[in-house]
Amino acid sequence: MIFRAVEDADLIQKARQGDVEAFNLLISRWEKRVFNYLLRILRNREDALDLSQDVFLKAYQNLRKLEDNTRFAAWLFRIAHNEAYSLFRKRKPESEPEAEERSQQAITTGGAAVFPIELSIAVSSALGRLTADQREAVVLKIYQGFKFEEMAEILSCPVSTVKSRLYTALDLLKTDLSPLKVRGAV
Amino acid sequence: MSCSPFDLRDYFFGELPEEGRHQVELHSRSCVQCREELNRLLSTQAALLAVADEEIPQRIGFVSDRVYEPSRLMRWWRGFWGSAPRLGFASAAMLSAAIIFSAAHRPAPAPVDVARVQTDFSRQMNEAVERAVAESDARYEERTARLLAATGRQFEAVMMEKYARRDYRAAILRNVSQ
Repeated sequence: MIFRAVEDADLIQKARQGDVEAFNLLISRWEKRVFNYLLRILRNREDALDLSQDVFLKAYQNLRKLEDNTRFAAWLFRIAHNEAYSLFRKRKPESEPEAEERSQQAITTGGAAVFPIELSIAVSSALGRLTADQREAVVLKIYQGFKFEEMAEILSCPVSTVKSRLYTALDLLKTDLSPLKVRGAV
Repeated sequence: MSCSPFDLRDYFFGELPEEGRHQVELHSRSCVQCREELNRLLSTQAALLAVADEEIPQRIGFVSDRVYEPSRLMRWWRGFWGSAPRLGFASAAMLSAAIIFSAAHRPAPAPVDVARVQTDFSRQMNEAVERAVAESDARYEERTARLLAATGRQFEAVMMEKYARRDYRAAILRNVSQ
């Protein structure tokens, strides 16, 4: 991870000097992570792909504003977060499922062992029952592996708020996912 | 409710310092409740991670298009402003150029005309000497005049006294002879 950060810093420096291939290499390293982060919080492939492109375009345009090259990941995800919430605000009614709607997506797999596809549906449903803030905290911590301080930087909120969102979400997920036993996965 | 000395969830996510981690590990060895809680967290995380990342359906590479690529001059310009050592070197070079330019264009001092300087010096010296002699003569004449005037007044007073005494004696003699 340290070597990766060093190499990223090198690529950022070259991209800042107008080396397009360096920025393309940077994109190829991060596009999958950014796409999956957006996919998990937006829950829509087309939106996630469109916003991924916007995120990298904005990153390229604002690369010179990045003060510390080693904090590129948090900076990039901060852009992605802003893009996602900008879309949320545009599509407020459909992007924030109501509690009632969420409750209808209850997991129905019960206590029996499930196949990966069933687990995927169960996890997707469980994540769907969280609020957008809670879901994003889970995505950033569990799937993207950010530290609390980085999450606070991405979400523009105190570490205590980040922890509160994540731990509340985990309590809900523990309850929802505890009956699941997937063959070979859990 | 956990009885661990630190938050088990902080431990689980690797957010505790070394000392805290050590204490939680020691505690959880002897505490069934905390071990179960850690297992629940592990199961939940494993369930979430069982849903793997998807491949991006379309690669992003818009900046590789020549249309978006900056010109060679623009790349050099951005690179120049993006490098602190280059900026520092350029500043030093500009400062040096300014010093050299300033030195090259400064007016040279006029050549010294030794004969003229000597003439001027002699003239000024003669004028000063003449002025000093004239002043000295004037002072001497003034003093002489003052002395002559004083001597004249003194001589006149003596003569007056002498005549007055002679007149007095003549008057006495006249009285005696009568």
